[in-house]
Amino acid sequence: MSMPTPAPRLRDPLHGVDPRARRWWTTQALLVVSGPMLLTAAALLVLSLLFFPSALPWLGPLLLVTLVLPALGYVWAMPRWRYRTHAWELGVRAVYAASGWFWRKRRIAPLSRVQTVDTVRGPLQQVFGLATVTVTTASTAGDVRIAGLSDADARELARRIGDAAQLVPGDAA
Amino acid sequence: MAAPLASLALTALATGGHLGDRAWITLAVIAATFACVTAAGLIGWSRTRYRVTADSFELRSGLFVRRLRAIPLHRVRNVDLTAHPVQRLFDLVVLRAGTTGATGGRDGLTLEALTRPAAERLRAELLARAGGGDAADEPVLSTGDPRWLRYAPLTFWVFGGVFAAVGAVWRVLDDLGVQPWRIGVVRRAFEQFGHSALWLTVPLALLAVAAVGSVGALAVYAENWWRYRLEWADAGTLRVRRGLLTTRSVSIERARLRGAVLREPMLLRAAGGATVRAVAGGLGDSEENRARSTVLPPAPRAEALRVLNGVLALPGALPPPGVAPVGEALFDRPELVRHPRAALRRRFARGMAWTVAPVTAALVVLGALLSLPVLLYCAGGFLLLATPVAYALARDAYRTLGHGLPDGPDGHLLIRSGTFSRDTVALARTAVLAWTFTDTPMARRAGVTTATAAVAAGEGGYRIPDMAAGEAAAFAHAATPGILDEFLAW
Repeated sequence: MSMPTPAPRLRDPLHGVDPRARRWWTTQALLVVSGPMLLTAAALLVLSLLFFPSALPWLGPLLLVTLVLPALGYVWAMPRWRYRTHAWELGVRAVYAASGWFWRKRRIAPLSRVQTVDTVRGPLQQVFGLATVTVTTASTAGDVRIAGLSDADARELARRIGDAAQLVPGDAA
Repeated sequence: MAAPLASLALTALATGGHLGDRAWITLAVIAATFACVTAAGLIGWSRTRYRVTADSFELRSGLFVRRLRAIPLHRVRNVDLTAHPVQRLFDLVVLRAGTTGATGGRDGLTLEALTRPAAERLRAELLARAGGGDAADEPVLSTGDPRWLRYAPLTFWVFGGVFAAVGAVWRVLDDLGVQPWRIGVVRRAFEQFGHSALWLTVPLALLAVAAVGSVGALAVYAENWWRYRLEWADAGTLRVRRGLLTTRSVSIERARLRGAVLREPMLLRAAGGATVRAVAGGLGDSEENRARSTVLPPAPRAEALRVLNGVLALPGALPPPGVAPVGEALFDRPELVRHPRAALRRRFARGMAWTVAPVTAALVVLGALLSLPVLLYCAGGFLLLATPVAYALARDAYRTLGHGLPDGPDGHLLIRSGTFSRDTVALARTAVLAWTFTDTPMARRAGVTTATAAVAAGEGGYRIPDMAAGEAAAFAHAATPGILDEFLAW
C-alpha cells in the first residue's frame, strides 16, 4: 500500500449545530436522566428524615456521591460536550456528520449512495424549533443522522441532499 | 404444538397415567387447535392455484381475500426446494422462487406441498425461462466429508447445549406443576452425589456432560450439514444445499455477493479448522443472515481456503501460473498493516477491568464481610492466575489485529480481528458505501480510532478496531477513493 506523505487527516465538519440545541439537550437530560435521579435522591432523603433520622449521616453522602453529583455533572457536561462535538457539512459528493459526546462518531456517506432523506421533529424539538435530518443508505451502518439543526437549516439541507443525490450518478446499492 | 404435547406426555408419565382436570383441559385445547389448524391448512391448500404463463409465474390463494401474486419470469433468480421430515415422509416439497429485488428483504413466491416430480418439473420450467446465465466452468466448489464431524465437538454447544437442554426440560416440567426434585430417582441421585467423594465425582460429572454434549454437537452438525454441497448453480447464483432430516437450500446471487469471511473460533483454530461465511445482501435480517450466510461448516482450513477461492473468483478467470488463487492470496497469512502498541495495552486493560478486577473485588468484599480468610486467598490466587491469562488473550487479540489492501484497486479490503473468534473479512472495495470513525477520550489519548466500513450486505458494518488515528483516514481514502476527498486536510 503506497501511502502519500504526509498522511491526510480528517478535518472537522464546517458547520456547528444550532445554539438552541444546547437547551434542547439540557431539557432532555433533565427529563430523562438527571431529573429522575434527583427526584429519587430527594424522595430517599425525605423518607429518611421522616422515619430513619439516624441514617442521615451515611445516607446523605452516599446519595450525594451516587445520585446527586452524577445527575448534576451529566446535565452540566453532556449538552456542552455534545454541542462541541456535533457538526455537519454537505460537500459536492458526500455528506459528513460528527456526533456523540463520550463516544465521538464521524461518518461520511457519498451522495450517490443516498436512498432517502428524512426530517424528524420530536415534541421537544418542536418547542425549540429544531429538527433532525437522517440520510439513509442501503446499510444501517451507513445512515447519517444530523441532530439539532434549526428548522430552516434542516429544510435547506434535506432539499440540497435530495437534489445532489439525484445529480450524482450511482445505483445506491 | 410439540411442546404442550410433550409436556402432556410427561405429565402422564410422572403421574402414572392419572390425568387431572388441568391436563384434560390442556388436551382438549390441543385437540381443538389441531383441528382448526388442519382445517385452515386444508382450505388454504384447496384454494391455491398456480400457473406459468408466457412471461410470468402466478399464484392465487386465500379464502375470503383472494390474492394474486405474479412475478415476471425474467426476474426469477433461483428456485429452492426444501422439505422437512414430515413432508419427506409424504414425498412433498416446498418450492420457493426467489427474485432480484432492490429491497433488503426476501422477495419471491413460496408454494407449499408440491409432489416432488411436479416440483422438479416446475423448477426446470421456471429456470429454463428465467434470467439465469450459463453454468459456471467449475460448478461444484465443495461437498461434505464425514471426517469433518471431528470438528463438531469444538464448539460452545458441547457444554452450553447440555445446559440449555436441561433448562428446557426443567421449564416444561415446571409449567406442568411437576417438581423435578420430588421425583424419587432424581432426589436419590442428588443425595448419592452429595455423599460421594466429590473430588472424584465432580470431574466425572463434567466428563459425562462433555460426552453428552459432544454427542449432541455431532447430532446437530449432522442434522445441519449432512449431504452438504456448495456449487455455482449458474454463473450468477451460488447455492448451498445441506441437511439430514430437514433439507435446506440457500441461494446467493453473485451480484449481491460483497465479500467473504474466514472464521476461526479459538478451539477450531487450535485443531486447524475454520468456517466460511459469505458477505451477501438479500439474506434476510441479521439472525437469518447468520444462519443462511454460512457456506462452509467447520472443516479443515485448507478446504476453507479452497472454498474462498471458488466463492470470490471472477467467473471463468483462472489465475495466471505462479499466482495463488484469490482466496489463498487474500486469506492465507496475509500481509497486513499492524496496529499500534496502544491497542495491546487497551485490550489488556479491558480484560483486567471487565473480568479480572470485578471477580477479585467480589471475592475480597465477600471475604471481608463474611470474615472468611479463605476467600481472600482465593482472590489472590485468582488474580495471580487470571492476569497472565488475560495478558495472553490480549496479546493474541493484538497480534490478530490488522488491515490491508492486498490486491488492486478493484480488489478487496481486508480486516482481521478477534481472539475468541478470529475473523478475516474481505470486502469488495467498491461495495463500501460509507465510512465511520469512532473514538473516546481515552482512545484519542492513546492515538487510536476505530473505522467502520458500511456495506449493504452481511452484518452491515465491519469494524477495524483501534487503528492508528493518523492513518485511519488515509487508509479509508486509499481503499475507496472519492468518498473522503472533500473532508481531508493534507
